[in-house]
Amino acid sequence: MTQTTTELQSQADQIQSLKRRKQQRFRLGVNLSYAVLFLLLIYAFSGIKFNLFGLQFSTISLDTAFIAENWYFIFNGVWLTILLSVLSIALATVLSLLGGLGRLSKYPPAYALATFYISLIRGTPLLLQIIFFFLALPQLGIRLTGLWAGVLALGLNYGAYMTEIMRAGIQAVDIGQREAALAIGMNQGQIMRRVVLPQALRLVIPPIGNQFIAMLKDTSLISVTGFVWELLWRSQKVGRANFRSLEALLIAAVFYWIITILFSIVQANIEERLARGVRTT
Amino acid sequence: MTAIVEVNGLNKYFDSLHVLKDISFEVAPAEVICVIGPSGSGKSTLLRCINFLEQPDFGSIAVNGVKVEAGGSGREYKQKIHDLRLQTGMVFQSFNLFPHMTALGNVIEGPVTVKGMPIQEATEIGAHFLEKVGLGHKQDSYPSRLSGGQQQRVAIARALAMQPKVMLFDEPTSALDPELIGEVLGVMQQLVEEGMTMLTVTHEMGFTRRFAHRILFMNEGRIIENGPPDQLFDNPEDERTKIFLGAISRLGE
Repeated sequence: MTQTTTELQSQADQIQSLKRRKQQRFRLGVNLSYAVLFLLLIYAFSGIKFNLFGLQFSTISLDTAFIAENWYFIFNGVWLTILLSVLSIALATVLSLLGGLGRLSKYPPAYALATFYISLIRGTPLLLQIIFFFLALPQLGIRLTGLWAGVLALGLNYGAYMTEIMRAGIQAVDIGQREAALAIGMNQGQIMRRVVLPQALRLVIPPIGNQFIAMLKDTSLISVTGFVWELLWRSQKVGRANFRSLEALLIAAVFYWIITILFSIVQANIEERLARGVRTT
Repeated sequence: MTAIVEVNGLNKYFDSLHVLKDISFEVAPAEVICVIGPSGSGKSTLLRCINFLEQPDFGSIAVNGVKVEAGGSGREYKQKIHDLRLQTGMVFQSFNLFPHMTALGNVIEGPVTVKGMPIQEATEIGAHFLEKVGLGHKQDSYPSRLSGGQQQRVAIARALAMQPKVMLFDEPTSALDPELIGEVLGVMQQLVEEGMTMLTVTHEMGFTRRFAHRILFMNEGRIIENGPPDQLFDNPEDERTKIFLGAISRLGE
């Protein structure tokens, strides 16, 4: 006996809803676990004392008066942290595009320059580069403010790492696209500008987003210049002055964490939208 | 009548593999040539050498009086290849439309970017050619919103918009679902009737038989038959042609 279409339909629905229920149960479990972890974290910093097996334990107690008084001063560094990241990622994107084109170039000096740049930057520490731009350049008569020294160092550094992303993005564009463009008589420059790069840039937006999120936290290194009032610098300033570094650094950490989560959500949205836009034939 | 395409002593190697062996032939204006043969026989490579998408190692290609010898270099040589490409339009097996441009954007890209035509004029020409392939209503659609058959017709319009003297088709229907092949062949038939010079690599024996003026049968990098369809289909000279046609016709039954 064959099943009717309605029977088959209800069977499919049952399988579907079973699957959905399983997923919902998993999500619920995950969210509950998050809540427990979060409560534990709060508890760990609550300052509550408790007795276990006759021993006296105490959780970490924080100076709430200090926090209430200073959180806003530290919070004001968020804007500078974001500004530093945006400027640096912009510089890094431009440099990595040039670097990626250089790495793919058949013109020896361009290839050599790009390779040299990557090797030099990846071969030295980021912290050294930041301090170098701030402290060493004045000796050569080039005086940069802490902000521009930081942006230059971060941009150059991330640009070198992102070069490989750009190179991969350019190479990922189907060879048929170049051939079609050649066949209608386009030259190499036109092909790059009109056909390959518009498609490659679309591909590299998600990984560049990741780099941006990583960079948000690396901007804290710029605090060593002592003249850029971003998150970490502000928290160190008030923390040291009041012998409350524990509280001050925790506040900065929480802000870094929140910005990262927010930008990760933005990033996931962009990625989803791009994935929907690109349909392979 | 002088030939519009002249291929002379063409040889091509992929590393040590000799894929084209001393190929010479001519094509007269308005002639329709179908290149057939088993896979790996060098059909596509031959077609791609004609507009220098593959660089031949020896020999020469001339299209509409623009002659390029194999193995040159330098700016002047590149300019010559460019001039040669402007004489030809090419349609690919996998369409290769630009996915970030609309159908119209694809068609006017050549005229605007390569020829420097004003957008307005190019748009008129582009609309005309899209109309011609039956897709006037799809001007603003992106390739991802078009069926395979529609994409291939846009690709044909894109090639035609450069107003080439010779059209090269590289297995234009091989990537299409059977029910979409007809619409592409229909456009090609229209071009045949308008007197376009065409070189087509294809497995469509129906099209070949009806419209080809001449068939080149290739095997192992050589042209082993060169004649009108009746002669080749009904009276093949070479044993390998017989075997190939036998295999194809069995498939068709």
